[in-house]
Amino acid sequence: MSPAGCAHVNAYKVDNWRQNLRVIYQCFVWSGSAETRRRKVLQNDVRWTALAKSCICHMCGAHLNRLHSCLSCVFFGCFTKKHIHEHAKNKRHNLAIDLLYGGIYCFVCQDYIYDKEMEQIAKEEQRKAWKLQGVGEKYSTWEPTKRELELLRHNPKRRKITTNCTIGLRGLINLGNTCFMNCIVQALTHTPLLRDFFLSDRHKCEMQSNSCLVCEMSQLFQEFYSGHRWPHIPFRLLHLVWTHARHLAGYEQQDAHEFLIAALDVLHRHCKGDTTRDDNGKKANNPNHCSCIIDQIFTGGLQSDVTCQVCHGVSTTIDPFWDISLDLPGSSTPFWPLSPGGDGSTVNGESHLSGATTLTDCLRRFTRPEHLGSSAKIKCGGCHSYQESTKQLTMKKLPIVACFHLKRFEHSAKLRRKITTYVSFPLELDMTPFIASSKESRMNGQYQQTVEVLNNDNKYSLFNSPRSLSVCCGGVGILCLTLHGLCLCVSCGGADIICLTVCVLWWSRYSLFNCLCVVVEQVFSV
Amino acid sequence: MSKDSQMRAAINQKLIEMGERDRLKELLRAKLVECGWKDQLKAHCKDVIREKGLEHITVEDLVAEITPKGRALVPDSVKKELLQRIKTFLAQHSTL
Repeated sequence: MSPAGCAHVNAYKVDNWRQNLRVIYQCFVWSGSAETRRRKVLQNDVRWTALAKSCICHMCGAHLNRLHSCLSCVFFGCFTKKHIHEHAKNKRHNLAIDLLYGGIYCFVCQDYIYDKEMEQIAKEEQRKAWKLQGVGEKYSTWEPTKRELELLRHNPKRRKITTNCTIGLRGLINLGNTCFMNCIVQALTHTPLLRDFFLSDRHKCEMQSNSCLVCEMSQLFQEFYSGHRWPHIPFRLLHLVWTHARHLAGYEQQDAHEFLIAALDVLHRHCKGDTTRDDNGKKANNPNHCSCIIDQIFTGGLQSDVTCQVCHGVSTTIDPFWDISLDLPGSSTPFWPLSPGGDGSTVNGESHLSGATTLTDCLRRFTRPEHLGSSAKIKCGGCHSYQESTKQLTMKKLPIVACFHLKRFEHSAKLRRKITTYVSFPLELDMTPFIASSKESRMNGQYQQTVEVLNNDNKYSLFNSPRSLSVCCGGVGILCLTLHGLCLCVSCGGADIICLTVCVLWWSRYSLFNCLCVVVEQVFSV
Repeated sequence: MSKDSQMRAAINQKLIEMGERDRLKELLRAKLVECGWKDQLKAHCKDVIREKGLEHITVEDLVAEITPKGRALVPDSVKKELLQRIKTFLAQHSTL
């Protein structure tokens, strides 16, 4: 079973064999539908046209039974019923291709053979077909290059990952009220896509100085996966953040959410190797042109529709976002009245029986149409005058990792207080009711049928295999506990726990996408 | 060809034409991964290979070993769901 194939393959590799093989892959193996198959075949070779209609066995007409196609002539035969074997013997055509998986079978060697050149062709055609079908790149296992094999041989030490090993988990020392930072750092290091990006060395630094935050993140991942069990001291990270986000500098306790946004912003800027700000200091946040890892993972699009009450013309803008800030009940702004049993109140499996506010409630409030009132008239493009209008926010594009910020801190002229309303969040969150196209179909009077969502594009879910708790205690400072999927950051003042900042990260188990990050910031005192 | 297999072939043809077969395939793939079937069979494959020895194993051996096991391990819920999907599809598009 070597990649050099078998001797009989060489007999096949004559004339225009490559093209013939490509045709077979395109038309019969990787083709999407009968239509594309028909088209491909007509494009390629008239000889195949007669049989393009359907792939069935020429002897028994069956389509199951591991259909194989002869490589040397136009013949399809069942493998299980040995029809293709008969053909091979009679015609002395030694090679056949499995129409389901594209493997090449040699009847003389009586096994599937792996020829490097043929594999190459197969892979290329498969990629092309996926692209045509709009599937994009599918996961394929890693195959090391020559250079990588060399490196592996020269570095024989291997780290084995067992089910209860704690690799990737590490505590962080509090450097003086930096629990907000530690908590966000833990969340980021547990984001699978980000972790994969950094562990596969994807960052190529173009910054001249060594104050690149992305490099520091990379280093941080190395620390987390080093296997060391004592807590890490992120002093360089802190210093870099203070350098690049001056407003966070100092030993005051800060907002975790603010830190998240600042960190994402700096990482985003440094990913492009751009160390200069815009003229007016605005963050260069242009998702249309940026393909840095931060934007790929975290950026979503928020659609804002302003409807004029007179002419009903709608003016739409779409803004990029990294997080959604949600108002909470208990704040001085009126909260959307809950209607238990009302439309969609059992969405996400939550019930309102307990009367508790849910994350979905907050989202519903966030996306409700808001009457802007007579004191905030907008100039309408249709009426050419100032009119009253309603505004509604919906999600145009959902990010891969969604961050929700619960606005627990209320600042008003008189007071600055913390809203301690309990908000529950579900194990699975379906964002379908909140996306722009849902709203449009509702407006058009279409009844929102329960669509069986095959592609879980709008669903976010909780990672459902929590790993063991890893506790690292660091002197008089911080205990940082991480449960895979839940990140707690605990500050100790002496022996008492005085503050608990919770940051929850979710992701779906079998699709690596759709993660959710909720920054909750509960403060408990013990 | 018996009436039964004629029917099968016709249904299959219809499924392919409407692109439903590919959708069903994807659905099945996702379900089988979700319920752990893929992992179970993979483990079984490894066992078989270990038994027979890497040098002597052929694809045929593996197919013979895992086909019955694979068939048996598919959970009933998955079978039911797919059957339901096919029935719904046929009800909607039946000219048969």
